[in-house]
Amino acid sequence: MRQLVRTARLVVIGGGISYRALFNWTTPSMFIGTLLVGPVLQLLFFVYLGRQLHVADDRFYVLGNAVLASSTACVYGGTMAVANERRYGTLGAVLLSPRRRAPLWFGRALPYVLNGLLVSGFTLAVAALVLGLPVPADSVPQIAAVLVAAAAACSAFGLALGALGLRFRDVFLVSNVAASVLLLLTGANVPRATLPPWMQAVGEALPLTHAAAAARRAAAGQGLDTGLLGAELAVGAGYLVLAVLLLSLFERGSRRRATLDVL
Amino acid sequence: MSRPERGAPASRGTKPSASELRGTKPSAPATSLTKQRAVKRWPRLVAVGVRTHVTYMSRSPLEITFAVLVPLVYATLAVYLFRAAGDPDRLLTASVGAGLMGIWSSVLFGSGGAVQNQRWLGTLECLVVAPTRLPLVLLPITLATSVVGTYSMVATVAWGWLLFGVPLHFAHPVLFLLAVPGCVLALGAMGLLLAATFVLMRNANALANALDAPVWLLSGMLVPVTVLPAWTHPLSWALPTTWGARAVHAAASGGPVAAPLGLALGLGALYALLAVAVLGRVEARARAAATLALT
Repeated sequence: MRQLVRTARLVVIGGGISYRALFNWTTPSMFIGTLLVGPVLQLLFFVYLGRQLHVADDRFYVLGNAVLASSTACVYGGTMAVANERRYGTLGAVLLSPRRRAPLWFGRALPYVLNGLLVSGFTLAVAALVLGLPVPADSVPQIAAVLVAAAAACSAFGLALGALGLRFRDVFLVSNVAASVLLLLTGANVPRATLPPWMQAVGEALPLTHAAAAARRAAAGQGLDTGLLGAELAVGAGYLVLAVLLLSLFERGSRRRATLDVL
Repeated sequence: MSRPERGAPASRGTKPSASELRGTKPSAPATSLTKQRAVKRWPRLVAVGVRTHVTYMSRSPLEITFAVLVPLVYATLAVYLFRAAGDPDRLLTASVGAGLMGIWSSVLFGSGGAVQNQRWLGTLECLVVAPTRLPLVLLPITLATSVVGTYSMVATVAWGWLLFGVPLHFAHPVLFLLAVPGCVLALGAMGLLLAATFVLMRNANALANALDAPVWLLSGMLVPVTVLPAWTHPLSWALPTTWGARAVHAAASGGPVAAPLGLALGLGALYALLAVAVLGRVEARARAAATLALT
C-alpha cells in the first residue's frame, strides 16, 4: 500500500513539478497565445479553406481541428518533458534517481493530457460559438470521452518523440515535422478517403486519426463508436510502451557513452 | 569595416545627458559629411547583414525544417484538398500558396526568434549600444528570414511538379521572378515592425504562434479574401502580405502584377518607417525599464 502511495506521489506530484519547470508555455501570455488563440485561428483558416473548396462542411473542420488542437500541447509538451531536462542540464540528476522509470516518465506525460483536453475543449467551444455550430447536448459526454482518449494518445506520442531527445540533439526538429504530419495524415483537415492508401495506412498508426473520426460520428448523433475509441487508446498505449522502451534504451546508451548532458 | 561616428562620449565623472543615456542621438551634432557617409554605408551594411544572416540561418536544421519540410506538408495538404475539390487547374495556385505561407512563417518566427535569440545569446545589448542604428541592425535579420522563406517557394513548386505532376505553366514567368523578391522585400519590412514589437515583449513567440494562420487567411495566400466576412477586408488591405500574395498569384495564374506589387512595396516601406519610429520608442522604454536583457 505504501509503495502504491509513493508511486502515485511520483506520478502526480513529480509530473506536476516537471510540467511547471519544463513546459516553456506555462506563462499566461505564452499559454493564451500559443495554446488557446493559435488553435482557434488555425481552425478558422481551415474552415474558410473548406468553404472555398467545398470539400467538406464546417462541422468536419471544426471537429477535426478541435481534436487536432491538443497536438500542440501534447506533442511539444511530451517532447519538452524529456528534452528540456537535457537542455537545462538537469537530466543527470533525474536519472540518478533510484525510482522506477515507467512511473517517472508516465507522470510527466499526465499533465499534458489535461492540458490537451483543455485546449481541445476551449477550441471546440469557441468555434461552436463563433461559427454558430452548436454541439448537441447529448453528444457532449461522448465527445469529451473522445477528446480525453485523443489527448492521452497524443501525449504518449509526444513522450516517444521526447525520448529521442536523449539520443539526438535537434529533437524539436522531429516534433515540428511530426506535428505537421498529424495535420495532413490524421484526416483532421483532409478527408482520408482522398489520400493515397499508403498515407491512410500511416494515418491509422498515428494518434488523433481515430479520435477525429469518432468525434465526427458522435457530433452527428451516431453515438460513441467504441471501436474507434478503442483504436485510439490502443495507438496511445502502443506509443507509451514505445516511449518507455526508447527512454530505457537511450538512458543505458547515454550512460555507456557518457553523453547524458552533451548538447 | 569602419562604423559611422557618434558624438563624443560623456567625460568621466559627469552625469550623461538624457540623449546619451538613450543612445538614440549623438551628444554633439554630427556634421553633414558624416551623415552622408553613414547613409552611403547603409546599403552595404544591409547587404552584408543579409548575406551573413542568410548563411547563418541556412546552416540551422530547425530553420530549414520550417523553411522547407513544413511548407512541403502544407503543399501536399493543399494539393490533395484542391484535387478533392475537383479543381486540378489550380494546383499551381495551391503550390504557390503553400510557398507563400512558408515565407510568412519564416518571417514571423524568424523576426521574433531573431531578437529572442540575441537575448538568449546575450548579444542584444551589444546590438542596441552599437553605433549603427538599431533598425539597420535588425532589418538585415528580418530580410534574411524572408529570403530564407523563399526556400519554401522553391521547395513547394518543385515538390508539386515532381510528385504531383503540377504543370509549371506560369502566366507571367518573368514577372513571377520579379514578384517573389518584391514580396520578400515587403514581408521583410513587415518583419521589421514585428521585430520592433518583439524587442519589448519578453515572450515574442506568444504573439508569433498566434499570428501564423490569421495572416495566411487575411492575405489570401491559399483562400481568396473575398470568402472572408466583409469586416475583415480593411484588415487585409492594410497588410503588405495581401498585395504581395496577390502579385505572386497573378504572376503565376494570370492578372495584373505591377499594381499589387507596387502596393506591397509601398506598404512595406510604410511599415519599415513605422518600425523605425516604434523602435526608437521601444528601445528607450526597454533601456529605461531595464527589460532589454530579460528573458
